Amino acid sequence: MTAPNPQQRLQSLSEEYQNLQTDLQTQITSRQRLESQQQENLAVRKEFNILSDDSTIYKLIGPVLLKQEKTEAESAVDGRLDFIEKEIKRVEQLISDMQEQSEGKKMEVYQLQMKMQEAK
Amino acid sequence: MTSKDAPTQPQSQPINLSTLPIPQLTAIKNQLTQELQHLTTSFTQLRTAQAKFRDCIKSVRDGIEKKGANKAQEGGASSSKPILVPLTPSLYVPGTLASTETVLVDIGTGFYVEKTPPAARQFYTAKVEELGKNLKDLETIVQGKQGNLTVVEDGTLWTCTLPEKG
Repeated sequence: MTAPNPQQRLQSLSEEYQNLQTDLQTQITSRQRLESQQQENLAVRKEFNILSDDSTIYKLIGPVLLKQEKTEAESAVDGRLDFIEKEIKRVEQLISDMQEQSEGKKMEVYQLQMKMQEAK
Repeated sequence: MTSKDAPTQPQSQPINLSTLPIPQLTAIKNQLTQELQHLTTSFTQLRTAQAKFRDCIKSVRDGIEKKGANKAQEGGASSSKPILVPLTPSLYVPGTLASTETVLVDIGTGFYVEKTPPAARQFYTAKVEELGKNLKDLETIVQGKQGNLTVVEDGTLWTCTLPEKG
């Protein structure tokens, strides 16, 4: 067994592991962002529910407030909620896949370390 | 140093803290501290949000409803008390409220709804209450985590004082 080989392998392995961790962190952040968006939209949905049909609703588009029908606004929020739900599912799947991967990498690193210890 | 993780158990079962080696205890402690910090920050943010909504209620009550009442009593827009409108944080111009009938409330995600002042107050009160509920829930969680942290810290101390440990 040559010395530099496992050393290099260990380095590349831990690099891969680190990259995975960074990606995972990014996904977790976007999962959190989706969650807060969902909460906000749910709050708006709830508010629409208790609003009378003839209330005046404005939507902020860029710097302008645009008058909107309640049904229109409702469907917009519902659409967003659907989208967010799907996104959450997608990101969660991604996160669990990545967690599995990084767990695998961790074990690889660990095993390699053990092997190197034995070789010494 | 990579501390070996126990194979992930499908169900979370209680683990006797005194059986864990010190590196793992430290890892758990760090994780708990991190979680606690995150929760405390969220708690403060919720508090701030609640205070903002309270300010809104106060503004609607003092700034809109009272002025509206004055206007109705004395008749005519000119008699309503002038207000100072901030153009920048340090520059104000005098003005009067054109309408005290309705206010525009930001209900989130870019939607604004026209509401009467009492309805607006009701909306904000509901928000404050909701946040209050969240704050209470969060407080219980924070306390629980704090308890866990204390236990782990005590466990670390206890394990450290043991003469030999496998």
